[in-house]
Amino acid sequence: MVRRPFGLLIGAALVVVCTLALVPVRDAVTVATPALVLVAPGIVAGLVGGRLDGVATAVLAALAFDIVFVEPYGSLDVHLVDDVVALVAFGAVALTVATLVALAADRRRSAEQRAEEILALSEDRERIHREQRRLVFEKTALEQADDARRALLRSVSHDLRTPLAAIRAITSDLRADADYDERTRHELLDVVGDEAERLDRLVANLLSLSRIEAGALVPDIQAVDLDELVTDRVRRLSRLLRDVTVATHLPPGLPLVDADYVLVDQVVTNLLENATRHTPPRSTIRIDARGGEGVVAVSISDEGPGVPPAERSLIFEPFRTGSSAQRSSGIGLAICRAVVEDLGGTISVGDAPAGGARFTFTLPIHRPTPLPGAGEVDEVAS
Amino acid sequence: MSVGDGRRVLVVDDERPILRALSAALTARGYAPEVALTGAEALERAALDDPAAVILDLGLPDLDGIEVLRRIRGWSDVPVIVLTAEGAEDRKVKALDDGADDYVTKPFSTPELLARLGVALRHRPASGGAHDDPSGPGPVLEVGDVRVDIPHHVAEVAGRRLELTPKEFGLLALLARHAGRVLTHRMILQAVWGPEYGTESEYLRVYASQLRKKMAEDPARPRLVTEPGVGYRLIDRDTPTS
Repeated sequence: MVRRPFGLLIGAALVVVCTLALVPVRDAVTVATPALVLVAPGIVAGLVGGRLDGVATAVLAALAFDIVFVEPYGSLDVHLVDDVVALVAFGAVALTVATLVALAADRRRSAEQRAEEILALSEDRERIHREQRRLVFEKTALEQADDARRALLRSVSHDLRTPLAAIRAITSDLRADADYDERTRHELLDVVGDEAERLDRLVANLLSLSRIEAGALVPDIQAVDLDELVTDRVRRLSRLLRDVTVATHLPPGLPLVDADYVLVDQVVTNLLENATRHTPPRSTIRIDARGGEGVVAVSISDEGPGVPPAERSLIFEPFRTGSSAQRSSGIGLAICRAVVEDLGGTISVGDAPAGGARFTFTLPIHRPTPLPGAGEVDEVAS
Repeated sequence: MSVGDGRRVLVVDDERPILRALSAALTARGYAPEVALTGAEALERAALDDPAAVILDLGLPDLDGIEVLRRIRGWSDVPVIVLTAEGAEDRKVKALDDGADDYVTKPFSTPELLARLGVALRHRPASGGAHDDPSGPGPVLEVGDVRVDIPHHVAEVAGRRLELTPKEFGLLALLARHAGRVLTHRMILQAVWGPEYGTESEYLRVYASQLRKKMAEDPARPRLVTEPGVGYRLIDRDTPTS
């Protein structure tokens, strides 16, 4: 309806145009010709502007018809009965047609408007639905992240408190001068030492985890002798490993690998600790290594219950432990994977030949740094 | 003492170092410890060995510790001390309401645990010779320098007579009857106020604070100890229990 003034303007203009066009021939035709022609401006005004424009234009057209085409020309007077009838009929037809046309146009316009509104509403609804779905999705993701954080806190505090609980139970009692024989006293002090070492390993893992999460793990790559590393680590873990036999089979001439000594040491420590947690007392933990296509693969096998195939991909996720596992913070294996992959290797778990789990990780074989000027042959993996 | 006359104690925990520590501590004090690593093992040992007391960790790998407690309570009223993680107040209350005699929060001090064990064993007449037990139920209760004469409705602290309202007296008498033991808010409310009470722990806080004022408690060395989020216990300040 914004077009209303235009409807009347166009209608009036058309009345003027039609009238001027017909004036030269008004004596050559009957009054029926201008009457028919002058209906048109009302129709146009009704279509463009609406009912009021149509009616106003029809009235203008009737006046023009009377003044210009009905004798005597130039006045509103009407003398002939024929002309009175023609004028009244013209007025009635022009008004009716303009009104009907305008009503039809109005109805069409409001129908179009309603259709547009409905379309807009349904688009709004669709957008709201999309937004709702997005929010639900985000909420779920946040809840999952929250659950993971809670699980981390719960399991880390459990793991930190367990050795602390043993240490406190023993030291509080030794201080109370309990009546212990020498052997028991030594045994208890050994437990305190073991638990302190366990705390130390856990704290090392937590530090690594926070460095990995912060993206601050920058490996110090050097040529690492795995034989030396494994032998030294097994010796250092002799207390943890005292109830099991460790069989190490590293072939002579095993290639050096490009890796960070401290990080690989942590991987081996975590895998050995994991093995002792699951292997029965007095069983054997096997460590072997072999050189392959560009990599050295190291395997650590235990005689425990093994890892069911369905859990093999999950076990390296943080805070997961196998169904048969005793609870632990489950960050050890996650750290192994993060470290090994950062060093350009892979880690996986399968079945050991004697039953039990067999964890295998690979590391790239050491490539000597090309001498300056020796050409663009080997680029050192970083 | 030989095994079977009330010195056998079953210790349930999934952590071997804790078991080793507690076994040594119990042995050094003349108890005969038995150990179990899982809930299922604990139920079996509790049924077969007829222990005089059970020390039960609530975090077991196979069964919930409270479920183990409930099943033991299904056939036995053996004293049970539960070990819980710090911050798990609702678990402590649940364990106590489900029949645990007391709890100790990990990491715990072994002498404190053994003191609680001693209190729990004394409170069971079945464990032998409890009739001359000074902290057992009787008309006149004495807990350290707190004396509660129930027939005469008289309470004294260090020889000084306290002016107590009936509810305050009821609260002190109940705690004295269970000297050394923690009583949950619910237990106290139902015993002193009536069985229709149970969740109105704010009443209790008001009465406990009035009682403390009248007892002229030293906040650094209280006789009436608040166990936050759990309940109250009345202790003999001169025995090294905590």
